Amino acid sequence: MRRTLQLALALALLVATIMPAAAERLVSALSNDTIEITSSFDGERLTFYGTIAPDAGAEQKYVVGPYHVVVVIEGPTEDTVAREKTNVLGMWLNTNQVTFKGFPSYFHVLSSGRLRDITDITTLTTNFILPEAHVLLPNEAGWWPTMVFGRELIRLMTEERLFGVQENAVNFLSDNFYSAQLTLPSNAPPGPYIAHTYVFKNGEVIVRKSDGFAVRKIGFERFLAQSSTQYPLLYGLACVALALVTGWLGGVLFRR
Amino acid sequence: MARKTSFEWDFGAVQIYLPIAELSVSLFFLVGIGGAVGFLSGLFGVGGGFLLTPLLIFSGVPSAVAVASVTGQVVAASTSGALSYYRRGGIDLHLAMYLVIAGIMGAFGGVAAFDLLRKSGQLDFVISIGFLVLLGSVGILMLQESVRAILKQRQGVVVRERLPNQHSWIHGLPMRVRFKKSRLYISVLPVLAIGLFIGFVGALLGVGGGFIMVPALVYLLRVPGNVVIGTSLAQVLALMAATTVMHAVQSQSVDILLAFCLMVGGTAGAQFGAAAGKHLRGEQLRGLLALLVLAIAIRFGLNLVLTPDDLFSMTTAGGAR
Repeated sequence: MRRTLQLALALALLVATIMPAAAERLVSALSNDTIEITSSFDGERLTFYGTIAPDAGAEQKYVVGPYHVVVVIEGPTEDTVAREKTNVLGMWLNTNQVTFKGFPSYFHVLSSGRLRDITDITTLTTNFILPEAHVLLPNEAGWWPTMVFGRELIRLMTEERLFGVQENAVNFLSDNFYSAQLTLPSNAPPGPYIAHTYVFKNGEVIVRKSDGFAVRKIGFERFLAQSSTQYPLLYGLACVALALVTGWLGGVLFRR
Repeated sequence: MARKTSFEWDFGAVQIYLPIAELSVSLFFLVGIGGAVGFLSGLFGVGGGFLLTPLLIFSGVPSAVAVASVTGQVVAASTSGALSYYRRGGIDLHLAMYLVIAGIMGAFGGVAAFDLLRKSGQLDFVISIGFLVLLGSVGILMLQESVRAILKQRQGVVVRERLPNQHSWIHGLPMRVRFKKSRLYISVLPVLAIGLFIGFVGALLGVGGGFIMVPALVYLLRVPGNVVIGTSLAQVLALMAATTVMHAVQSQSVDILLAFCLMVGGTAGAQFGAAAGKHLRGEQLRGLLALLVLAIAIRFGLNLVLTPDDLFSMTTAGGAR
């Protein structure tokens, strides 16, 4: 009898730790799961939307806010180098550099309010919600250069519209239904993207969910980009053949 | 190198996405600068690579992609000219072959250096300083020469062209070869050195090298005027074709779509340029070209010396830019 009680208690504890008491779940989706880069690709608009609902099997039939929603969109990661020019003998040249391994090539944060009002800095950095969190990772260059170059890298990425924080981008259409819009710029790097959605209540993350989408070249552009890396020799020869034909044709057409 | 996409000039509504450069540019802008440079190249009888590469770099195309793609454009630009010289018998194929073989050796070095510099982040610097030195010295020499010619003409002096068979110490070097068409019996060493140098510089800077080749053939080797241009065009064509393939294999930064847009504009523009060139006199043309070359050299010089707007830049390790 005592054993059973112990077991039941342990189970109850386990369940309690896995599932928060007021269990909500997030039903989310996005407008496109593939962004296609065609010859006329000039950026694209994406909508993230979702509703916060009582968890499956929960007693309650409605959820009580107020909620905050933060959507973090992260592009494919690449090793990125930040370089600094210094003046050497009157000329400006790249002298210092720091490599950031696995740095996101695209990073946007959309939120339903000021991030500082939503939660504390520790939650933001440990969950990689702030752009700055990516340059706080240990780097062989040492912490000080990493800080300096990291800050500049984020600034450069922001100027290219590849990084950004929009604190008014998530709108609640009802108490528990939100939507957020993002305009992906034309220089958005192709590859797999992940949208992490966090629901906050009283400064705590109560639900998180990830949705993926892809930005990829299709058709002719995809064919060209692929052949340039997979069959570089053929690609080069094709380029020369194209040049010869164009040059010859030009000469023939315009000869008077 | 930096991810630069400040393509804000929207005078051409038709945007074209360049798959290797990974940015979208106005189609009219590309064909437009191709045409403008083609016009100038037709006018002055040069390949135009030394104008096109800087223009693309100044307007935000990554240096690596600009250099590699312009090599493709130069092939197209020299094809029709080389063909018509070939039909007229204005090419010393024997001499061109020597130049091309040495050139391809040089291009191997150039492409390897290009790749190495790109990885270490010094490509932009070397391209700037390369253009500054090359265009600066060629521009000054050309300007001097044309001003002198114009002044002499004003004074009524008949300018006598230097005789092609005057020899200098360069011809006396060992390993002499007979080039029948150029009526030359000279050492092969200076020929190979010129080829090597032009191959290296051409691959590194994305220029055909016609504007170095022609003076080198005329003043160093004393190649007679009737085969100079044709031979230079033939060697630029073969060398740049080889360089394009090498860039495609080694750095994979040849953007075929970018190159094609430039080719179309360039070949069309060149025809109008050649027609317009008939109304201008040779010394005036050379003087104008010299000024243009100097202007670009100064622009590169300023780039090096002036404090840059942004001391920081970024690049991805693997990508084409």
